[in-house]
Amino acid sequence: MNLQSSEPKQTAVSPVVFEASGLKKEYDDGQVQALRGVDFQIREGEFVAIIGPSGSGKTTLLQMLGALDRPSAGSLSYRGKSMLDWTDASAYRAREIGFIFQAFHLLPTFTAIENVQIPMFEGDLPRSKRIDRARELLKAVGLDQRVDHFPSKLSGGERQRVAIARSLANSPSVLLADEPTGNLDSNNAVHILDLLINLHRERHMTLVLITHDMTVARRASRAIQMRDGRVVFDGDPSKLTVDS
Amino acid sequence: MNFFNVVTSGLKRRPVRTGLTLLGISVGIAAVVALIGLSRGLLTSWTAGMKSRGTDIVVHNMRGSLTPKPFPASTRDRIAHLPGIAATAEGLVDLMSIENAELMVVSGREWGGFTWQNLKLISGRMPNDQMERAVVLGTTAADVLKKKLGDTVQIETEELPVVGIVEGGAFVENGSIILSLPLLQQIMGSQDQISAIDVRATPGTNDAGIRKLCDEISRLIPEAHAEPAGEHLVNTEGYRVINAMSWGTSLLAVLVGVLGVTNTMLMSVFERKQEIAILLALGWRRSRIVRMILWESALLGLCGGIVGVGLGVVGVNIMKTAPTIHGLLEPDLSTNLMLMAIAIAICVGVLSGLYPAWRSSRLTPSLALHG
Repeated sequence: MNLQSSEPKQTAVSPVVFEASGLKKEYDDGQVQALRGVDFQIREGEFVAIIGPSGSGKTTLLQMLGALDRPSAGSLSYRGKSMLDWTDASAYRAREIGFIFQAFHLLPTFTAIENVQIPMFEGDLPRSKRIDRARELLKAVGLDQRVDHFPSKLSGGERQRVAIARSLANSPSVLLADEPTGNLDSNNAVHILDLLINLHRERHMTLVLITHDMTVARRASRAIQMRDGRVVFDGDPSKLTVDS
Repeated sequence: MNFFNVVTSGLKRRPVRTGLTLLGISVGIAAVVALIGLSRGLLTSWTAGMKSRGTDIVVHNMRGSLTPKPFPASTRDRIAHLPGIAATAEGLVDLMSIENAELMVVSGREWGGFTWQNLKLISGRMPNDQMERAVVLGTTAADVLKKKLGDTVQIETEELPVVGIVEGGAFVENGSIILSLPLLQQIMGSQDQISAIDVRATPGTNDAGIRKLCDEISRLIPEAHAEPAGEHLVNTEGYRVINAMSWGTSLLAVLVGVLGVTNTMLMSVFERKQEIAILLALGWRRSRIVRMILWESALLGLCGGIVGVGLGVVGVNIMKTAPTIHGLLEPDLSTNLMLMAIAIAICVGVLSGLYPAWRSSRLTPSLALHG
């Protein structure tokens, strides 16, 4: 696996995509504190790895960034607009965000090309254009020969490629990936990570990736390390240590 | 791929459960088709019978009871002179158990009245006079009773020879045993009693004229009711009871269908919690999720409705061979009834999907990141 950082550092002129300040998330009437006051900025075009052990709050943070859940306190904005003011975040999720899940989460009764079309229902593409676009995306992830296969007939790596193609369906500006290599063997993990990094470069997308794997985190342009709901390191991934 | 594919995939995922739920709705809809078909059949059969006799108005005393109450034959004299009335014919009609037929229409008709004119002789002859102790049978009645010319039919304690087989132009007419009024009055011990007066209005009288005539007749004879032929049955207590029982039983069956679909859709939503959360995470609006669930349940209703109509038609065709019904009425299996049954099934589907759809809309998209 390539351990070198694959992304040049972002310059200060890149606009801020996400900005969190004092971000907190509590569950069970405050008995569980998943986030205990998190502050950060993520700029356009960055590849940020969020790393930390289980229960450190990294998945909760991804939920906040994807507007899948609301914080208990603090502020969080997307391109300068407070996400806390949104009553319906579906348009944001449909147009701005592409989600990639650890367990792929493809719909089992649909073929690869149909799965890729699922997010496009919220767009205004006619059926024929949807099919063309899905085919093009599957080609971009190297699956143009597997478009009519059901998920059960695809390998783990292929399923994640379909999921990546699906995340790109509505040309989002941000990709949020929740341990995208977590369910893959090391060989497939390298390929998927390479694919994500290439897409991030070619399409100039902001990539926020959750991982517990230090080698994956070190390929990012920036790492945010979390522990017990707090950011304990934010900076150059090459300076990450297990104990940071 | 379109949105409809997403909807159908939800149903195809658990084919056995979907099939059983569909069967549940089908049984309810089959009950609607069968019971309402029979109930409406009663009405249409009797209305057709009236039309075939050329009756415009029926004077009767059926409203307050399940069977017609006899009234004096002299009643006719109080209305026959009214302008607008072309002809009247007295009749005594009863439903009786005749030999192997549990219920059969026995129709005593005024000798020489217009209610004999529509009867076309298929074989044999008509009675020679009103006192001849003989009957003619409608074609269906002859078939039900398995009688031919020369056989006898027992009415009450009287055995009467069959002298003719007739075609009456309507199902009820064909299913009747027809004899002269005085003979039936004598057999039933109802001398000078009748149960209906068939009134024929002067040709060219429109609906408004018929209703006006009904009002005039009803004013003259407050102890009976005059109503346009066909409507007289709708307003009777007997028909109302039959209709209410048919709808009541049907609605009960439909309610069972509603509970079945609701249960299936709720289970489906619970099983697909994470899938729905993934769809939300991928940007689907909650309203689209609600629509997906409602379309699924409506589709389940539609398919159940189509199967139910098929089952209902088969059921009715079996039921109409039953001794209690055979020859008495022709079930109404009109396109309208079928469309109504399918519309009910779709409503059942949509209604059943409301709560599961609401539950699905409450799911949080963050579930997508669990598991």
